[in-house]
Amino acid sequence: MYINFKAIANWAKSAAGITITISIAVALYATINSGPYVLVNTIITGGMLALVATGLTLMLGVLNIAMFAHGEYFMIGSLTAFYVFTPISNYIMENPDSFLVIIGPVIAIVLSMVSGAIAGVISEKLVFGPLRRRSTDNWVMNSFLLTVGLSVLLINLHQLIFGADFKGIVRYWGGMPVSIAGAFISRDRIMAFLISGLIVFLFWFFMTYTRTGRAIRAVSQDATGAQIVGINIENIVLLTIALSCALAGVAGGSLLFMYPSYPTMGLEPLYMAWFVVILSGLGNILGAVAGAFMVALLKVVTVEYIGAGWDFVVPSALIMLILIFKPSGIFGSEVRGVLDK
Amino acid sequence: MLLEVKELDAGYGYLQILRKVSLQVDTGEYVCIVGPNGAGKSTTMKSISGLLKPMGGKIYFNGEDITGLPAYEVTQKGIAFVSEEMNLFVNMSVQENLLMGAYTIKDKNAQQDRMEFVYDLFPRLAERKSQLAGTMSGGERKMLAIGRGMMSKPTLMLVDEPSFGLAPQLTETVFESLDILIKNGVTIMLVEQNVNKTLSVTDRAYVLENGRIGLDGKSSDVANDSYVKKVFLGV
Ligand SMILES: Nc1ncnc2c1ncn2[C@@H]1O[C@H](COP(=O)(O)OP(=O)(O)OP(=O)(O)O)[C@@H](O)[C@H]1O
Ligand SMILES: [Mg+2]
Repeated sequence: MYINFKAIANWAKSAAGITITISIAVALYATINSGPYVLVNTIITGGMLALVATGLTLMLGVLNIAMFAHGEYFMIGSLTAFYVFTPISNYIMENPDSFLVIIGPVIAIVLSMVSGAIAGVISEKLVFGPLRRRSTDNWVMNSFLLTVGLSVLLINLHQLIFGADFKGIVRYWGGMPVSIAGAFISRDRIMAFLISGLIVFLFWFFMTYTRTGRAIRAVSQDATGAQIVGINIENIVLLTIALSCALAGVAGGSLLFMYPSYPTMGLEPLYMAWFVVILSGLGNILGAVAGAFMVALLKVVTVEYIGAGWDFVVPSALIMLILIFKPSGIFGSEVRGVLDK
Repeated sequence: MLLEVKELDAGYGYLQILRKVSLQVDTGEYVCIVGPNGAGKSTTMKSISGLLKPMGGKIYFNGEDITGLPAYEVTQKGIAFVSEEMNLFVNMSVQENLLMGAYTIKDKNAQQDRMEFVYDLFPRLAERKSQLAGTMSGGERKMLAIGRGMMSKPTLMLVDEPSFGLAPQLTETVFESLDILIKNGVTIMLVEQNVNKTLSVTDRAYVLENGRIGLDGKSSDVANDSYVKKVFLGV
């Protein structure tokens, strides 16, 4: 077999190559040094971040919205999963042989995705659509301010209606933890990773190979060109916002067993996802996925070796450094910044 | 009559550019709009293609009123617009850009046929199928823009300054490809800076100045008009 060593060497020397290589090295070292749970935590946090961050990238690329309410769709997803799964879980307690033992969590997680999508569509119809129709002058700034307002509104609505307490569950899928390479990992964690992996893969496939996915990319690259070839931009905008919010919703839903639902729970995934988007360059799905795992690793390793209070400080500092040396992000070489348009 | 524009008023915000522009294009015709920079040629094309909502007047295509229809519906009706800026999808490959051009065609075989037609027309594009549009040379991008416009199998093509910024040899290639399209039964409305050449290949011409049609007629007659000679042809 012919292997192009030169191309591989070039890749390894590029910003992406260097960062990915360093990340893998750090992950291996931390795993050997502190145990496999470091890797497990990284992978689960990374999978969740990948879902939230691809949504952010998409909103930014297609709708030109710097989304600061995205964490609230994560929150809506977890809230939905909580209210769907709690009665199911009570039922399972009384009927341990029911098919719901396996399917119940799936129902909750799917509905968290659906509720995210619906919340996204409502936001577009009630908030972004009206602004877009009135004026697109200063769109980036105005829509950004709107998302901040939306975030505050949704957080307070949660508090008002559902209260400020933690709404969590003990587990989705019961049973013994599974032993992988000497580490015991709960089934819920394995499922959470499988779910995010599957969704990211399906999403990537959809964006790369389907007619509609291609249309979404077309709108993000040249909205006028997209209209010229016959794409109805309004439909694509609605679909995009539904998709990105669904991704955030399913992330919140599938991680309910780790992160209980409460009003401001969305802020942390939001900031982390913004780190990812800045790090990986705008409008790049695969970059966002790789970036998500890097930020997750950074966070986990920081907590492990420096202390729990530092898990925001170290990633932010690193991101500032990256922005100084590579303003377009590590993977963003060919992508024009959306904000330049 | 394939296209009829009646007393079109158009502009941007409160700024009116076109004033009562009327023009007609018959099926199979090769028509051009010439005029100085800023005359409103691109504005006319944007209005017809649906990218710009007219302020007044009517646009009929195949006898059907298409005034104010959104661009994607205009495209579905069979009008393709190759804009001055080309509006290519820079992070997509040549092949993907062409596929996007066939967005209105759902049948995979028909798409494939169009693709082959375009690759035959521009073998250069076939050689660079997987290259990103954003990394192509200016001339290649023009070809891709025209090719992408062809993909929807349009009855009418609006082509805005296809030779802008091209070397003379590539300009020839672009004109030749437009010729082939005409021979294939496509109707073309062309805007060009290269007035001399344009008037020599097209059937009919409209002269647009300050948002108004100043003169129109057979291209050969327009080319011999003393005013046109003085202002555009520099003789
Ligand atoms: N988006 C816009 N907003 C405001 N004014 C515009 C816009 N686009 C064009 N104009 C103005 O409209 C007038 C006509 O522009 P248009 O692009 O139609 O000219 P043109 O005949 O195509 O010129 P050229 O030969 O330079 O391409 C110009 O004065 C231009 O400044
Ligand atoms: Mg122009």
